[in-house]
Amino acid sequence: MRDDAHSQRGDVKRTDGKAVSRVSVVDESPPRPGPPEGAADEEYRWHSYAVHPSGRPDAVRFVDTYKSFGRSHVLRGLNMALPEGMVSMILGPSGTGKSVCIKHMVGLLYPDSGDVLVHGRSVPDMPDDELFEMRKKFGLLFQDGALFGSMNLFDNVAFPLRQHTEKGDDEIEEIVMRRLNEVGLGDSRTRMPNELSGGMRKRAGFARALVLEPDILLFDEPDSGLDPVRTALLGELILEIHREMIEEAKRKQREHLPTFCVVTHDIMSARRVADYINVLWKGRIVEAGPAEEMLGSENPFIRQFLSGESQGPLTMD
Amino acid sequence: MEDLILTPRGWIEAFGEIVRFAARMLREVASLRVMRFFGEALRQAGILIVSSTLVIWGLVFIIGLECGIEGAYFTYGEGTPAYSGVFAAWCDLRELVPLVFGYMMAAKVGTGIVAELGSMRISDEIDALEVMGISGMRFLCATRLLAALMVLPFVYLCSIAAGFFASYLAVVQQIGYVSSGGFFLIFWQFQNPPDLLYSLIKAMAMAIVIVIVGCYYGYNASGGPVGVGTATAKSMVLNLVSVHLIGMLGTQLFWGANPRAPIGG
Ligand SMILES: Nc1ncnc2c1ncn2[C@@H]1O[C@H](COP(=O)(O)OP(=O)(O)OP(=O)(O)O)[C@@H](O)[C@H]1O
Ligand SMILES: [Mg+2]
Repeated sequence: MRDDAHSQRGDVKRTDGKAVSRVSVVDESPPRPGPPEGAADEEYRWHSYAVHPSGRPDAVRFVDTYKSFGRSHVLRGLNMALPEGMVSMILGPSGTGKSVCIKHMVGLLYPDSGDVLVHGRSVPDMPDDELFEMRKKFGLLFQDGALFGSMNLFDNVAFPLRQHTEKGDDEIEEIVMRRLNEVGLGDSRTRMPNELSGGMRKRAGFARALVLEPDILLFDEPDSGLDPVRTALLGELILEIHREMIEEAKRKQREHLPTFCVVTHDIMSARRVADYINVLWKGRIVEAGPAEEMLGSENPFIRQFLSGESQGPLTMD
Repeated sequence: MEDLILTPRGWIEAFGEIVRFAARMLREVASLRVMRFFGEALRQAGILIVSSTLVIWGLVFIIGLECGIEGAYFTYGEGTPAYSGVFAAWCDLRELVPLVFGYMMAAKVGTGIVAELGSMRISDEIDALEVMGISGMRFLCATRLLAALMVLPFVYLCSIAAGFFASYLAVVQQIGYVSSGGFFLIFWQFQNPPDLLYSLIKAMAMAIVIVIVGCYYGYNASGGPVGVGTATAKSMVLNLVSVHLIGMLGTQLFWGANPRAPIGG
């Protein structure tokens, strides 16, 4: 499963001195990749690049992806995978490029170099028509909900159904109300987005991302702006919906199992919800693997981050 | 100093980008791919009618009045009051109605589009559309252009009528140096049916440019609410310049060689 996850960019110099992995979990580890151009190896010393196998095919995979905005280098040789049929988390300090990652998966941003594969197909290489078709596999909850300001809540959630399915009004009504009730917004169906609180907008965006029952669901910080109880409930809801969708997919013998990817800062929900964890920092994965293994990781950076302590390698700068 | 050199190049680049954007938009409409969202185009057409027609007609009416009054007194002063119909036939139809129509389109419709699309852009709504597999270009821009093409010829013909009516009111009913029959004799003598078509072409060219420029600045807005404000201002400047250019070029092209008054020299 971890074949080319460690593959190396040809033009990046290797520092053979560091080839010995500092983490012992993975023993036949391939040579350690060098730092990206213009960065000191020191900056990447916590990056063990260890990827613990998930035993599943990848729904989404980043291969040596580089992306810069002007002088800010956001993705710097990212190799990351979201295993199919799992709830994956992308964890990382604020501003490391988690939202940028998500936008690459759905083709809203294109990498400067490297590749992004969705079910094995390269997103940057797709022609427009195919890209729009491919995007129907995705449901995406934006960081701020991104509801359509000109429509009320009900129409917002019904929008994808009306555009992409031939379902009748009754059926749409039923699906939409079920989703709205799930996120606790059944009573607000006629309200406009600007009359909602940030957290409510987010939950409505969540409902909208779900209605088409996509293969891959991406949540960009579903829990920021929610109170702790709602955050916990939302975590449970995510798990429950994932279970439901997996059963459904198995019953219908779908080609791909539903894959969820949650971007978050909230360690508690990560612990509760995640099957698989990717820790992103400085444009690369520090370490990735199934949740149990990550939570038991010996890497001081991972330990600090997953326990949310102020003591450790990660500082304010 | 560097700015002085860079600015024109920036303009040229921006202009090239707008042209490319316009080509994409026109292709979406011409290839009829926009028809998938015909419902949305109808909705936009409805919004256009409800929100913009009255103010356009009102403004044209006022200009028609003024033109009529000035024409009436001027021709009276020169001893040819019977000819006041010329002002209505030429000034209204060829210059003022298209210009005023263009102004109002730029001020009301153009800026409206920039503000609406711009705020959708900065709140990720356009990205959300795209992720749902719907082309923002098609759903937001092409439908607006189609709506404009469906509705505006009618709106424009009505505004010409409003302008003429206003001139008639001013010249014949209010000032009364010339009879109704005398006014219309000259009025019809100084225009042919093609003039109406030319005038319509002029106005539609303005409308298309205004909608495209509005979509361009809205669709590509960035930098938060302030960015949307800046984009609105820029689009207004470009639209007003375009309205005047189209007005002038159109007059030269359509009427420059007119045997009755070869204004093309
Ligand atoms: N369109 C853009 N233009 C320029 N810079 C951008 C753009 N999008 C993102 N960036 C930059 O990329 C970096 C990563 O942004 P991103 O939004 O992905 O962070 P994040 O990991 O999602 O952070 P947070 O957890 O706070 O949401 C930031 O430094 C940001 O300034
Ligand atoms: Mg983010």
